[in-house]
Amino acid sequence: MAYEGLDFYDIESQLSEEEVMVRDMVRDWVDEEVIPNIEEACRDGRFPEEWGKALGEMGVLGMTIDEKYGCAGMSYVAYGLVCQELERGDSGLRSFASVQGSLAMFPISAFGSEEQKMHYLPRMASGEWIGCFGLTEPDYGSNPGDMITRAVEDGEEYVLNGAKMWITNGTVADVAIVWAKLDGVIRGFIVERDDVGFSAPEMTGKHSLKASVTSELVFQDCRIPKDRILPDVKGLKGPFSCLNNARYGISWGAIGSAQACFHSAKEYALSRIQFEHPIASYQLVQNKLAWMLREITKGQLLALHLGRKKDDGSWFPEQISLAKMNNVDMALEIARMARDIHGANGILDEYPIMRHMANLESVKTYEGTHDIHNLIIGRWITGIQAFTRSV
Amino acid sequence: MGFKSKGCPLRGTGDKMTEIAVLVKRVPDTNAQILVSGDRVDLSAVKWVMSPYDEFALEAAMLHKEAKGGNVTAITLGNADCDKVLKDAKAVGVDRIIRIWDDSWSDLDSNQAQTALANVIRDLGINIVYCGKSAADTGAGSTGPGVAERLGWASASNIIGLEFEDTGVEAMVPAATGNARTGVSLPAVISCDKGFCKPRKPNVKGIMMAKRTQVEVMSSDIPSSSVSIISHSPPPKKAPGQTFEGASEVPSVVAALRNDANVI
Repeated sequence: MAYEGLDFYDIESQLSEEEVMVRDMVRDWVDEEVIPNIEEACRDGRFPEEWGKALGEMGVLGMTIDEKYGCAGMSYVAYGLVCQELERGDSGLRSFASVQGSLAMFPISAFGSEEQKMHYLPRMASGEWIGCFGLTEPDYGSNPGDMITRAVEDGEEYVLNGAKMWITNGTVADVAIVWAKLDGVIRGFIVERDDVGFSAPEMTGKHSLKASVTSELVFQDCRIPKDRILPDVKGLKGPFSCLNNARYGISWGAIGSAQACFHSAKEYALSRIQFEHPIASYQLVQNKLAWMLREITKGQLLALHLGRKKDDGSWFPEQISLAKMNNVDMALEIARMARDIHGANGILDEYPIMRHMANLESVKTYEGTHDIHNLIIGRWITGIQAFTRSV
Repeated sequence: MGFKSKGCPLRGTGDKMTEIAVLVKRVPDTNAQILVSGDRVDLSAVKWVMSPYDEFALEAAMLHKEAKGGNVTAITLGNADCDKVLKDAKAVGVDRIIRIWDDSWSDLDSNQAQTALANVIRDLGINIVYCGKSAADTGAGSTGPGVAERLGWASASNIIGLEFEDTGVEAMVPAATGNARTGVSLPAVISCDKGFCKPRKPNVKGIMMAKRTQVEVMSSDIPSSSVSIISHSPPPKKAPGQTFEGASEVPSVVAALRNDANVI
């Protein structure tokens, strides 16, 4: 039986024909290629290389970027739907696409020179080159403005020193967008895999996002040509613009995880017999399923409305914070509740529940933690920022 | 997107342009629950898809173009609701999408549909037509041979392998004692079974191309209908299964399998 997503409020009626076609294309691929293989990939702790190539062939990498750079120029709603379907498979898979499109390709398209765009974007859209995004440092996560990584001019080169941490795709990346301070101002630099003084060791031992590559980026007198600086942005606006796009995608992706958990919980509850009846017939279980449906439906409406605002340019960043925070939060709660409905079976990799739950613990924290997004919204309400203070 | 040939590897030379058509039909999703309301099938809530065998026909048409050059035209018959299957075909790379319809038409019978298809195919100067061996809704399997008959063309049905030649195709068709490798000269109509190729998937660029492509609507003279559907009825419900418990029931199970089910 083909997967049918929960669509209680007929969200599909609000989508264009091509948005539905793109969603179904990715949905079918996830059903055929990802879900049958994801548990093995997690056990092996690897991101299957062929998935990256398939994403390139489907044309979903950087899919909102202009067609003249080899991308698709599609709507942000279509991008959101792709994130939803990918994360229904696994958050690590959606992370790959988010990092490639929103965090590596987007800054080149938004802040790069024409030469940089023509050189990098078509190869990244096809999946030939993989990108990563270096902002977070070992001691600076929620507070990237105090980053230590530095760039200095030396003749026709920049010399980078410092280290980044928690970098998705780092070890497998051909291109790294690295944020570093040049004369005290945050700037974006394009570092390539073979640049002298650059290394990207993989971080191991994760209990979450196991099918995703997470790395350190180390810059030890790393020399890059001067034309690899992103010319059109200075300050935190650069990385935060990227993060807004990635967070937007996460707000849709989390719905995919929640849908996977809901779908499994519903099927399990209908087939699991206790006290001679399916557990779905008991009020406590129905209450849980109804809560899941309620939260998924609200999350869908939030994401769709935000997507339309992204497409017409009327959005502001706090709206993205709300959607990312809310939808990941609800997805994580749904994963936990789904585990409860599955009983002991919920801990087995026969079901997707524990994998989604463990993944979502990361998703709750990366791209702006749940608490930081609360503070962003708190600042919007009160006009008072709560990030820094004199003690 | 590879061609999974079973016994009929792809081969071919030459570059003669061929006008290729593929017939695609919009049908209820094969997973959809079909309900009968009153005395008519109620299709108001079903999801619609391209008939699965037509996906193999579409792939065969695209492979033919890739092997021999030419143009692929996807054709459907129906009202504007059927545009989606044409867009799906465009998204995987066909050159032209045509819907045959006239607002004065309602449900057409097979004779009318095949006449309309044949007329348009003739007018378009098509050399070879691919279609699914049967549609997932009616399962009649008459369209391919019916269109060929009306055109006076060669026809190969239920093919399970395909090679592209300069003047025709070689089709592997099921035969009484195995498979028959059959040479078919153009013009011809080929109806496709599943499994001999892997239907390609669309990509985002193809979908954007489909969005920008207009469906061409054509009409045709058709004969009047001589058949009408009087009513629909659901298939009879299956009898409930029997439950046996314990080793003492084994003789009863064996007896039932032997005498009632006739399977041992």
